[in-house]
Amino acid sequence: MAKLLDKQRYKCALGAMQTVQAIERALPILHSGPGCAQKLSESTGSSGYFSPNIFPCTSINEKDVVFGGVKKLDSTIENALKVIDADLYVVLTGCIPEIVGDDSGEVVSRYEGSKKPVIYAPTAGFKGNNYKGHEQVVNAIINQYLQKTEEKEEGLVNIWADVPYQDLFWLGNLRELEKLVGELGLKTNVIFGYKKGIKNIDAIPKAQYNILVSPWVGLTNVKKLEKKFGTPYLHYKTLPIGATETSKFLRAVAEFTKVDKEKTEAVIKKHEDYYYYLIERYADLFLENRVINKQFTVVADAQYTLAITKFLANDLGLIPAKQFITDDTPKNYREEIAAEFKNLNYDINAEVAFETDGFKIHEEIKNHDYHGYPLVLGGYYEKEITESLKGNYLNISWPVQNKVVFDSFYVGYSGGIRLIEDIYTVAVQRFN
Amino acid sequence: MSEIRQIAIYGKGGIGKSTTTQNLTAGLVEHGKKVMVVGCDPKADSTRLLLGGLAQKTVLDTIREEGEDISLDRILKEGYGGTKCVESGGPEPGVGCAGRGIITSINMLENLGAYTDELDYVFYDVLGDVVCGGFAMPIREGKAKEIYIVASGEMMALYAANNISKGIQRYARTGGVRLGGIICNSRNVDREYDLLRAFSKELGTKLLYFVPRDNVVQHAEINKKTVIEYKPDSNQAQEYRNLAQAVIENEDFVIPTPMTQDRLEEILMEYGMMELADDYKI
Repeated sequence: MAKLLDKQRYKCALGAMQTVQAIERALPILHSGPGCAQKLSESTGSSGYFSPNIFPCTSINEKDVVFGGVKKLDSTIENALKVIDADLYVVLTGCIPEIVGDDSGEVVSRYEGSKKPVIYAPTAGFKGNNYKGHEQVVNAIINQYLQKTEEKEEGLVNIWADVPYQDLFWLGNLRELEKLVGELGLKTNVIFGYKKGIKNIDAIPKAQYNILVSPWVGLTNVKKLEKKFGTPYLHYKTLPIGATETSKFLRAVAEFTKVDKEKTEAVIKKHEDYYYYLIERYADLFLENRVINKQFTVVADAQYTLAITKFLANDLGLIPAKQFITDDTPKNYREEIAAEFKNLNYDINAEVAFETDGFKIHEEIKNHDYHGYPLVLGGYYEKEITESLKGNYLNISWPVQNKVVFDSFYVGYSGGIRLIEDIYTVAVQRFN
Repeated sequence: MSEIRQIAIYGKGGIGKSTTTQNLTAGLVEHGKKVMVVGCDPKADSTRLLLGGLAQKTVLDTIREEGEDISLDRILKEGYGGTKCVESGGPEPGVGCAGRGIITSINMLENLGAYTDELDYVFYDVLGDVVCGGFAMPIREGKAKEIYIVASGEMMALYAANNISKGIQRYARTGGVRLGGIICNSRNVDREYDLLRAFSKELGTKLLYFVPRDNVVQHAEINKKTVIEYKPDSNQAQEYRNLAQAVIENEDFVIPTPMTQDRLEEILMEYGMMELADDYKI
């Protein structure tokens, strides 16, 4: 039976237009009603070479439902190719054409020989949310654009992580992951962000390895890459935040890519030294501060709930209350992800719930005894409830309403320090 | 004035819905009734006999070519005995959504004021299989309140009729739509009359009329006419007049009680198959 879903934290699959947008000079062509595009394009920091305001859209209406929208799609692609200078055109379909049965794939196939590549990703909302839509776009690139090649580049690794724009720290995270992996002597390739684009897509098949840093998003992509190009992948489930996890991550990457152990340990030591120097300097803050109590809750997608829970438990010694994963994680991944929450230092176990309903999450937060001020890291939806409990609140996941993020990040050693800064900035302001 | 009786005709594809509807309409016209026939089939052949050919541009073709700002006379043609004829039409086979097309057409007819007070009857001739919500449009939102299912003694026709009844039952729960009965368009199947009566009874309705098979119907069709127009003195013309009379007088409107597949097959065994064993001929 249908039920009310309160405060959902994702968009529909067509939201994958943001995945396309994160690839420089790639252009989404939307085969959808005008409202879909308008609603889904809303996001701070999404103007650029293309802003959502100029995404070509078939803006289909009732007439196209009755007679089919393929003609309109054809002319929209044709004219987009004429007037918009892009390197890659990605047709994304919304619910309406998918229900009506428009053969969008056939229309797109007419552009096979065109000067610039045109591909197609079915992203009807009823297929799932924008996490799945993101995977669809990457799969479309792999299936329809990338060509088989025997050529491999020594030491080249592709890095894949969570969903651009849905993850407000996506740009900073990817850049920092590249930097860290690069320090191991590997050459990194990422398709999203600054000065990334078609040349990086072209390089995907040449990589020796794929590294996926995500609990589940992107797994179908790296599996597909393995099948098509024979590239082995490392699935590292936890976005590494802070020294404990980042050092583990670097060791895992080094082992997988056969990087020299000594070299790896030297990189780790350099970072850890500085990290713990900072921690030591602020030990008095951690010890004396009375408003960050022991217990915390994270309300976010699988990526951040897992990453932050591990960080706060392993690095800061806080105790997890119940944690919530809000991205509607596909059921087949849940068990493995939940097991990660049992895998914390000091024999700590975190209870985790896969819950998309904000009301239920808030009821549980309200009814839990945090033994003091609760620390809640979540979406903007958690602000009010945390304030009503006199707790400490930090907006780390979508929706984001009270901060502007250009390229800051929480990943890695320095990301961990940034997160501590943000949490304690909230704490020290309490009695100002 | 009395309310317009809006009637939807359903039934298996090829069973003779359009033929029956148009002949029935001709019968009603003789009774002095004002009738509008709305063809709800992408094939757009529901008004051919009344108009003397496929003389009609469909609502959807008109919308496609001229947009939605059109006048009623572009899509509504007058046919035999002053009947008003409309064809909804639909997209080309294999593209678009014909169900949505029906919805669009009927909404357009309403907006253009096709449902005038002088009308006594509106018939919706709906294509064979109610495959999606669009084809249920005439019985949704309180448009057609009366439904007749055209069937014959053939097994698939009864399967379809039972299935359609499930749809009627669904909409009857929330709206005023009711089943007025089964119209048999005879195929000369063994014990057809008995079978159809038993089937109707099981559905909680009645066999409204049994239209016998007669070749004059085919002759009239070739001549693009209803039987009443083509051969007014024929027996078959009288049958259709009687059918019209039965519709006019009908007051039994029920929520059908569709049967399970097993029960339907039992009835078929009882009436359709009984004679087979001893009556086997080549």
